[in-house]
Amino acid sequence: MIEVKNVTKKYGNVLALDNISFNIKEGEIIGLLGPNGAGKSTTMNIITGYIEQTSGEVTVAGYNMLKKAKKAKREIGYMPEGVPLYTDLTVKEFVTYMAELKKVDKKTRKEQVKKVIKETGLEDVQKKLIRNLSRGYKQRVSMAGALVGDPQILILDEPTVGLDPKQVTEIRALIKKFGEKHTVILSSHILSEVSQICNKVIIINKGKIVAIDTPENLEAKVSGSNSIYVTVEDKENKMKGIKSKIKGLKSIKLIKKNEDKTKEYMLEAEKDVDLRKTVFEKFAKEGITIFEMKKADATLEDAFMKIIEKGGKK
Amino acid sequence: MGAIIKKEFKSYFLSPVGYVFIGLFLIMFSIFFYTDVVSYGRTNFEYIFYSGSTILTFIVPILTMRTFAEERKTGVEQLLLTSPTSITKIVIAKFIAASLIILITELCTMLYFGILCFFGMPHIQTALITLLGFFILGMAYISFGILASSITENQIIAGVITIGFFILMWFLPDFNSIFSNFSLINIYTKFPEGQIDIANTVTLITFTIMCLLLTIIFMQRRKSVR
Repeated sequence: MIEVKNVTKKYGNVLALDNISFNIKEGEIIGLLGPNGAGKSTTMNIITGYIEQTSGEVTVAGYNMLKKAKKAKREIGYMPEGVPLYTDLTVKEFVTYMAELKKVDKKTRKEQVKKVIKETGLEDVQKKLIRNLSRGYKQRVSMAGALVGDPQILILDEPTVGLDPKQVTEIRALIKKFGEKHTVILSSHILSEVSQICNKVIIINKGKIVAIDTPENLEAKVSGSNSIYVTVEDKENKMKGIKSKIKGLKSIKLIKKNEDKTKEYMLEAEKDVDLRKTVFEKFAKEGITIFEMKKADATLEDAFMKIIEKGGKK
Repeated sequence: MGAIIKKEFKSYFLSPVGYVFIGLFLIMFSIFFYTDVVSYGRTNFEYIFYSGSTILTFIVPILTMRTFAEERKTGVEQLLLTSPTSITKIVIAKFIAASLIILITELCTMLYFGILCFFGMPHIQTALITLLGFFILGMAYISFGILASSITENQIIAGVITIGFFILMWFLPDFNSIFSNFSLINIYTKFPEGQIDIANTVTLITFTIMCLLLTIIFMQRRKSVR
């Protein structure tokens, strides 16, 4: 559906994108991750045809973005960062204008506008001026503008920034719903959001792609260490000598002291050893009371940080 | 392209811009009309348009300064430039929408022509040629205003560049007579004399096309350097 091949973008002497390549298949929901200034927005702007790459090729739905820009752009619905909108128009006027810009057939235009307004939950405010709407509704209007014309690809740049938790949940649900019919590229700083919505993640750092995989695989890759977290009450201070008493325990590290006089430790085990049962039994025997015990699973956030740090050290 | 013309035209009246432009023009035009008809007792419609052209110098930037500058600042240009509409069509559509405002303003001045007909016999052919010339001059001014708006994201700077350029073109012949052929107002003055001078008409139209082409080139170039 989208093919980015050896794309480089330079701003003067500054290299914003350094020879990046990736493919996005039909129906995928892709999360574009990276620190500020990594090149996420530049990548999105190139895919949408807003800016041109210095070298390389971008193909959207089979059309080269430089040679067949009109046809390629017709397949894209774009929701830019910061939700720029014509605030002096009403919601319906704006969506109709976007439909006209996208050259939606006159016969089906009215119907399409109505459908998109309904899908994005804007029916109640369709006659209101955009400037009088809340941030959440503006976000929906922007999404309606992207969706009208039934494009195959949806590109959403930071779609939940500045929203309250309820609005965030609603917008995420909308994205998930549209992801059933469209190919979606989503850029976000909120890693849990990407983890929830996307089935593939592209991590960009300093203009280079440092990882492309599913969120699950990325998490699995970094959770190489076999550790558990335990919160205990250790009145007799027996944790110091516990290491020698548990077979397969590699190290004990105090993470924090809690206000209720309990302490949280990270216990690292040798590979393929599950410490939980042994720890439970031994601690009870030693008079150490366990308040909480959990396996240390890596999150997408851990994966992101490790990958970015690794890239930084290089 | 029709959608952009419609939207741009409508925008002039959704904000005070269209009303301010037409209102200011008609206030100034009324003053010139009053002094010409009452003070000098003339019933020549075209004479008022001699002065009318100077009004344009100061008020065209009101129409054009936000054309591209404001959209770039607010980010809405992303919506336009990522739509399947070419930059050429976008520039032409914005130019047509602004030109339509000039046309409406001209139509409003027909009221004064009606008043003159009541007092005397203004020459209709000269009046029509004057209106044509005024419209062509208006288009030339608009094209430059749009060009200025495309090179900055600050609409005030775009407005100052536009007024500065028009004033320069106005007073240039005072420094050296060689420049009189480059002064847009000087070129226009043939029209109120009742002549459609081909050379002057072509000059104004060429200037308009050149400014629009430069705008398209600037916008296109920004895609690769943005």
